Amino acid sequence: MRLVRWLILVLFLAALAWRWPLFHLLPLQAARQQKMAALFDPGQFAAKFWKDRLLPSLPAAAPASSLIQAIQTNRAAARKKFGRSVGLGTDYFYFLSGTGKVVSATADQVSIACLPPYTNADLAIAIGPVFGDALRDGSGLLNINDYPNSQDFNAISAALDHLSETQVLPGVKSQARVGLTVRLAGCAEVDDESTDLRPLNLVPILFEAAPAP
Amino acid sequence: MKNIHLFAWPAVLALVLAFLPLAAFSQSPPPNRIAIVVSTLNNPWFVVLADTAKQRATELGYDATVFDSQNDTAKESANFDNIIAAHYQAILFNPTDASGSVANALKAKRAGIPVFCIDREINSTNAATSQLLSDSYAGCVKLGRYFVKTVGKQGDYVELLGLVGDNNTWNRSKGFHSVVDRFPGLKMVAQQSADFDRAKGLEVMESMLQAHPDIKAVFCGNDAMAMGAYQALLTAGRENQVKVFGFDGADDVVRLIAAGKIEATGMQFPKLMARQAAEFADEYIKGRHDFPAKIPVPVELVTHENVSQFGEYGKK
Repeated sequence: MRLVRWLILVLFLAALAWRWPLFHLLPLQAARQQKMAALFDPGQFAAKFWKDRLLPSLPAAAPASSLIQAIQTNRAAARKKFGRSVGLGTDYFYFLSGTGKVVSATADQVSIACLPPYTNADLAIAIGPVFGDALRDGSGLLNINDYPNSQDFNAISAALDHLSETQVLPGVKSQARVGLTVRLAGCAEVDDESTDLRPLNLVPILFEAAPAP
Repeated sequence: MKNIHLFAWPAVLALVLAFLPLAAFSQSPPPNRIAIVVSTLNNPWFVVLADTAKQRATELGYDATVFDSQNDTAKESANFDNIIAAHYQAILFNPTDASGSVANALKAKRAGIPVFCIDREINSTNAATSQLLSDSYAGCVKLGRYFVKTVGKQGDYVELLGLVGDNNTWNRSKGFHSVVDRFPGLKMVAQQSADFDRAKGLEVMESMLQAHPDIKAVFCGNDAMAMGAYQALLTAGRENQVKVFGFDGADDVVRLIAAGKIEATGMQFPKLMARQAAEFADEYIKGRHDFPAKIPVPVELVTHENVSQFGEYGKK
């Protein structure tokens, strides 16, 4: 009788352990994959942000011609009206969109005029590796306070730069020729007003041929 | 009966007078005290950070005390226990470890003491009241671009990393590599931690020079290590062949940049951050509670070309 009681208890415990196991055995490879999946993927985040938030926000960007005009008239007023700063910095960013005419195109740089008579280089797009935080911080759509770890926030910056470099710059390089009218959008960082405003160094989000202005 | 009254009233009065100061003391508010907890005082940069925070807190009317964590989270935790037990009103905090220091900030928060992080980050947006953080990543992107400009697109180099548990270490390294790694001709032949320490920087650089005598440059995650690396290069007679790049904006490195011995550093503005943190603590104590969780503070590149604009841990 006692043996039967013990047997019932053991069977009961076995059933419990089968239903709610105390631990799981996982192959090392599968465990590694699970761990990686739980980590933040900046590339995936940046691709989704670009498509779902950055491109749809272009209508809210500063009109390129108004911005260039404002900078030429009064750079402090232009900064106040169109610029965006992050933290305690003196650096600031512009997020702009509009049309312009290519005034020069070399292997290293494409220059664009945004104001009549379309002869001065108001914007410059460097052909080559893209660096910096202009795309992350320029639009104002991303906030460092949403990221507990700044390494993730910085990784987003690198991933957005990579998207501009691989998805937009090849089009700039292949299409740009003097006289071409283009529709463009992007962000610019102003670190030193004596060198960074004329032309504005644009990290492009969009660059495509457009009807003449 | 009349005689008893005559003697009793002065006695009662004397008793009241004797206890009055004690009663007044127990009713008075606790003294205005701010604690400044610094990761280490074995580095002049952090001494400037702590001294500036203390000076600003004192100017604002507080009794400020500096606690040295000696780069040890256990010591940091003991410092927090003492601060909480002593009922300080705010903590200006330079953490030792991005993850390991979160528990200390939370401990203070539970005790009702606001924590303001300076320079170094903790991996939490709800433990500290606010974090004033050097934008190390952006600063090292600038440094990386200058590195390519001065070293060129070909050649071997080495890197001295800071404390591996600190986010600044990786933000600096990743910012630098986000630029330099785009140039395949630039090869990092060694990368090792020297814990943000000058003596360790010297030691690690000596062994790196023995293993890789042909390097063209060394990138150091802070200026203390850059000073150690430069000392190793001097001893080896290689100071004119190997370019040194640091990060912090320490006075001795700024002077060596002006003298053409070190190439560049990133100026982090410790005084600006420390003063702002003390002012935030004062505002919190006086009733303001809406602070941004993180406030990036920009880093400026200091080179031979613009070094005359910098000094005293900031811009002149």
